[in-house]
Amino acid sequence: MSSIIISTDLLSVGQMIAERTAQALGYAHLGRQILSSVAEKHQVREDKLVAALDEDASFWGLASKNRDLYLAYIQAATLDQFLGDNVVCEGLAAHLYIRDVSHILMIRILSDPKVRANQIAAQQDIPPKRARQLLERQEKRRRRWSLRAFGLAEADPSLYDMVISLSQIEADKAVDILTDTVGYRKFQPMTYSRQCLQDKALASQVRATLVPRFPGVKVQSRDRIVVVQTRTFKRNKRQKAEAIKEIAQQIPGVEYVEVHSNKDFLRQGKDSTD
Amino acid sequence: MSERLEVLILDDEPIVGKRLKPALAKIGCEVEVFEDPRAALAVIDGKDFDIVVTDIRMDEIDGMQVLEHVLKKSPRTKVIMITGYAMMALAREAMEKGAFDFISKPFKPDDLRRVIAKAAQALGSPIDFEAGAEGEA
Repeated sequence: MSSIIISTDLLSVGQMIAERTAQALGYAHLGRQILSSVAEKHQVREDKLVAALDEDASFWGLASKNRDLYLAYIQAATLDQFLGDNVVCEGLAAHLYIRDVSHILMIRILSDPKVRANQIAAQQDIPPKRARQLLERQEKRRRRWSLRAFGLAEADPSLYDMVISLSQIEADKAVDILTDTVGYRKFQPMTYSRQCLQDKALASQVRATLVPRFPGVKVQSRDRIVVVQTRTFKRNKRQKAEAIKEIAQQIPGVEYVEVHSNKDFLRQGKDSTD
Repeated sequence: MSERLEVLILDDEPIVGKRLKPALAKIGCEVEVFEDPRAALAVIDGKDFDIVVTDIRMDEIDGMQVLEHVLKKSPRTKVIMITGYAMMALAREAMEKGAFDFISKPFKPDDLRRVIAKAAQALGSPIDFEAGAEGEA
């Protein structure tokens, strides 16, 4: 059956809609509860995984290399859950990396800005005007995060099949709309869409395995053939490709690995000046 | 319905029908192959097939038109779309118009046999899906 990905500007709202929708459909709710098992599997701190989903990399905060590593772990775990179908997912940034799978309904839920501003005002004990300013800053930070981490502006409505504003449509009605829409024929799984999902899941497993040793690798998969793109400089190109192949070929489901190396001009330049 | 599944394959690339016909015959299908959509539609007008497998991108008449034509004439027929230009929007359009399944090329004959077996099941005529893997279509 189909699945749903919910993106939102307020985590608690996305969680509430996802839980209610999952309950109405008899689907599994997939959210940040999986992060503890991801943390355990990869021996990292759960709060770091949460930070990777919420914060932009910075000099004094999360390094971009670590952010990419944590997001790769989360991505692989999330995609793995989607292979089982009947999932309503929120809070894991899946809308930014599970794209172009026809049986996944992509939804953006916009919370009421007044409710958000009031929430901030109450939490921080500040006047509403100041809360609205903070809200604007939060939105800018979030946009920067999604652009840097995945190259997409998550508030862009063209990324979604539907955008629902909770200042116009009540939460219960939004749940009804989602449960009804996901039943449309166009969102039913087919051989092609299942293949797309399996390809993405395998590519993300390979990437999550390679990223700790080879940061910046890009991985694509088609029907169990995996293509890895990496940046390297000429003299260790062969060793690096062999090392990548050796690791990737051990991952269950991988039949063949091809490694494409692009010249790392920046590091070559740096090396030549050292 | 006859005991053997009546299957029509339409693809303007001759190699596709040539490869798929024996692969489907192995699982008990009676297969007719066409490269020209007009000739295929003429035959469809005179006979109800259990399953139609059609390419999408073809000159003059495309697979979506074939899909609509088949289902208008025989709503019980399962139509399977195949294409080398698979995209999400196209896949959704095909499903919305009533396609049974959508497969992107290249695929292995086993992949199509699996879908045919699923379609046969949906038609109430289950077939024995047993055949060795072959090359790509």
